[in-house]
Amino acid sequence: MITQKPLFSWIFRRYAGLQLLLLAIVLVMVFARVFPLEMQKRIVNVAIRFKDYHSLYLYCALYLGAVVLAGSLKYLINVLQHYIGHKILLEIRSRLYDHILHIPLPFFRRTPSGMVISSITSELSTIGDFLGGALAVPVVNLLTLIAFGGYMIHLNPLLALLSLAIYPVEIAIIPYLQNRFNRLNRERIDTTRTMSNHIGEVVGGMQEVHGNGSYTIENRKFARFARELFRLRYRMSLIKFGIKFVNNFFQSLGPFILFLVGGYLTIQGSFDLGALVAFLSAYEKLYDPWKELMDYYQALQDARVRYTRVMEYFHVEAEAREDRPDRSPARLRGDLEVSGLVYTVDKNVRLLDQVSLDLPSGGQLALVGFSGSGKSTLAMVLGRIYNYDAGQVLWDGRELKRMSKVDLVHNIGFVPQHPFIFNGTLMENLLYGCEALDTVALKETAWDGGGTAARENAPQSSRVPDRETVLNMILKVGLFDDVLRLGLNSTLSARRHPELLPRLVRIRQMFYHQWGEELEDLVEFFHSDRYLHYTDLGCNLTFGNANRHIYEPPHIAEQPLFQEFLTENGLMTPLVDFGKNLAQRTVTLLEDLRDDPFFFQKSPIPPEELDLYRELVEWTERNPLSPLGPVRRNRLLRLSLRFVAGEHKMVALPSELEKKILEARPLFREKMKRKDPEGFTFYRPTEYIGNETILDNILFGRLKLNRPGAVEKVQDLVVSLLGREDIMDEVMEIGLEFQVGSSGDRLSGGQKQKTALARALLKNPSILILDEATAGLDNASQARIGNLLENEYRGKCTLISVAHRLDTVRHFDAIAAMKAGKIMEMGSYEELLERKGIFYDLVHGS
Amino acid sequence: MTSFTDPDFQCGCRTGESSELDENLEILRQVPAFSGIPIEKLRVYAYLSRRICCREGAYLFHQGERDDRGYIIVSGKARLVRQYDDHTAFLETLKEGDFFGGLALLADIKRLFGARALTNLECLTLDRRSFQKLLMQFPELAIKVLDAMIRRIARMEEKLLSMRYDDSSISP
Repeated sequence: MITQKPLFSWIFRRYAGLQLLLLAIVLVMVFARVFPLEMQKRIVNVAIRFKDYHSLYLYCALYLGAVVLAGSLKYLINVLQHYIGHKILLEIRSRLYDHILHIPLPFFRRTPSGMVISSITSELSTIGDFLGGALAVPVVNLLTLIAFGGYMIHLNPLLALLSLAIYPVEIAIIPYLQNRFNRLNRERIDTTRTMSNHIGEVVGGMQEVHGNGSYTIENRKFARFARELFRLRYRMSLIKFGIKFVNNFFQSLGPFILFLVGGYLTIQGSFDLGALVAFLSAYEKLYDPWKELMDYYQALQDARVRYTRVMEYFHVEAEAREDRPDRSPARLRGDLEVSGLVYTVDKNVRLLDQVSLDLPSGGQLALVGFSGSGKSTLAMVLGRIYNYDAGQVLWDGRELKRMSKVDLVHNIGFVPQHPFIFNGTLMENLLYGCEALDTVALKETAWDGGGTAARENAPQSSRVPDRETVLNMILKVGLFDDVLRLGLNSTLSARRHPELLPRLVRIRQMFYHQWGEELEDLVEFFHSDRYLHYTDLGCNLTFGNANRHIYEPPHIAEQPLFQEFLTENGLMTPLVDFGKNLAQRTVTLLEDLRDDPFFFQKSPIPPEELDLYRELVEWTERNPLSPLGPVRRNRLLRLSLRFVAGEHKMVALPSELEKKILEARPLFREKMKRKDPEGFTFYRPTEYIGNETILDNILFGRLKLNRPGAVEKVQDLVVSLLGREDIMDEVMEIGLEFQVGSSGDRLSGGQKQKTALARALLKNPSILILDEATAGLDNASQARIGNLLENEYRGKCTLISVAHRLDTVRHFDAIAAMKAGKIMEMGSYEELLERKGIFYDLVHGS
Repeated sequence: MTSFTDPDFQCGCRTGESSELDENLEILRQVPAFSGIPIEKLRVYAYLSRRICCREGAYLFHQGERDDRGYIIVSGKARLVRQYDDHTAFLETLKEGDFFGGLALLADIKRLFGARALTNLECLTLDRRSFQKLLMQFPELAIKVLDAMIRRIARMEEKLLSMRYDDSSISP
């Protein structure tokens, strides 16, 4: 198991070739470092002494060469080191992650996600830096040390031994300090973990924090961790700098001994001055490798502590892997026999106790009971989400515990009550289960980019269904309308669907031709000679969509070109005045209601800008005659461009201004044609509008808000037209490309459940386990799913359904009523009612 | 939707010198249930209410529907219709300034009757959520508004009950 590998085994077993190369380079570099010392000596002793220019140039050139070589080799070593280190880290990370994915579920019930995140990301990251140099750094520096030491002994053995004598003392003191440092470091890791878990939890429960206003409580809790972390960090730095101090202190003692002994010897005449100076400079060169060795020692200790801390935590037996990935998975019939099943948590709490039941292949069983009765737990154990402790669960006579995961996932479809929807498109979520089937047997982990090999090994027949099957399934589970609506309300990327644009424009024309007149009441069409009351004033002027960021609201208000246009056409002053009026009315109306954003739904000023405009209004009231200045003027202009007549009812658009806007509309188009022809896409019946939704493009207008039932009616007409023009599938496909957001947040609860159901059914499972999978659906959708299971899956697929609402289980072959982890009674709906036992109580709500 | 465009019926889309909010305020002041509210607070009611238009013959809402609005007629006429198993009863004909459907502002219940436009109709409406927000924002007015509204509803119900036994307005 990966969690038992010692840290150094990664270094010894990986990249032997590269590491040998590294070592060879190191040796050359050490030589290149010592070489200049010898040159230095020869320059003084030979070249200068004998005034030999030729040797001076030669030695200097060699000196320079050695320095350049040493520098470049050092660079190469650093690069290689990091490459090796991070390559190993990549493998450690990926394999650890893979291991974590395979740890059985109960582990994650007690493990906060913050824990896993911080382990894999921050805790492991510094190890990479260390790993690369784990071999090279000590070798380089030891060799350098020996080389300089040897050179010193070569110069004067006595002095060399004296000055080197201090190192053993250091070696005795430093590990003692380092041990204390390690202890603190372990504590720091634990505290950081608890803190990140805590932060994760608070972010997840932010709703409660805001709802209860518990800011102070949370601040206090956090401060406890933060203070503890500070204390540890502070004590760690005391020791760290203590080690530095010891190091520096002994290092400076060296010259002291040299001066004392060397000076004495020199005065006595047994050592000459030149040699003493040379000796001192050699001694100074010792400092660098020694310091690097010390740093290495500290990094080694830190990496060890982190590594073992992380690995210890995840040292949990993972699920058994498939040993024969190439065999084809078994197809189960779905015959279930359970006897004496026991599932225990916390050593002795029996969540399931002596459960026995039989269900023939294709049968339908409902599990019912009060909450806490163990019905969900039983469903999860039968799907091996949890492993049971005693008793037997036989699927087709095979013990569930010993079945391979490959067989399981190919046969069982499981839908939990709160299904998880991943960030990505709706389609990706629907196919999640099927795509997993194609890869579940593969042993490969992706760290070495081995994806291609894996794909070759993949089974020939992919289990991923085609588009038609997916659309069919969407229809069956009742997700069709949702997907269609998502599609209609998407903006179309012209680059991805260029062929659709002209078709949609044609549909727009047919739509208008057929219903335009009739819908005049419900839809405000984009007529070029009418003022649009449900579109903002800015758009009424430009009558088009900006293709450049600078023309988009609110930036367009500041655009010199646009402002010039307004001034030319006498619009600047009326628009600014209108903005002033609008600001004043809105501020008076909403000033006291700012605490509740609800009141700002029909306001052109959002709550966060209210103060800004209030100040502006107050300023204009204080200085009615002063010029506004560009900042205030632009702010008011921005506001009036935002005005939607049908929505912002605090002021009426003066008819004079409306007339001017309509007159200016064609002039703006002309001006843009001259100055920046690509700047806008103007609204034309024949032109697709890129940044509007498909629905708005078909309408070529906006829904009026003052007609009851307008939205439904218009959408129904659009859908009927899509069907007739055979473009429904394309729109559905765009709907399937909808980005569902993090944890599927952009879908409703019902949509999530339907998605999860479709995801499970698309796998075409022989066993379907539903854990209150329709609890979030409205009655009609729930009935639809009930009919689907009854009519299409009875006899084909063994169904086990945990049910909360008892009217949904009438048709089941058998109902098991549970209490305190035991099945109390089992039989058909009528049988159980007659028995007047707990099922009767459940139905009659006592 | 049976009728086609009627150029005279341009409801909702206005330009001119007086704002819709001011007009709504005037209408609300004429309605007894709201007339007791001080003008600056009534202005917020006017701000949150919305105009709804309905063509002659169409239904504003049907009996049994969950509709969450109260209505005041701005222009036109409407008739309240109650459907029984075997016959239909016309309850009341409403005209400009009449307030009806207020029960929906208080609770989420099904409509006891339907409302049909006798002519082209424009109404001022307030939805339940806005109404509740207003009650919360101006709690001192709540009792006053509720009292007036409940009186109005009680009168309607009385009428409804007496209708049941009054054959004169029953059509076969």
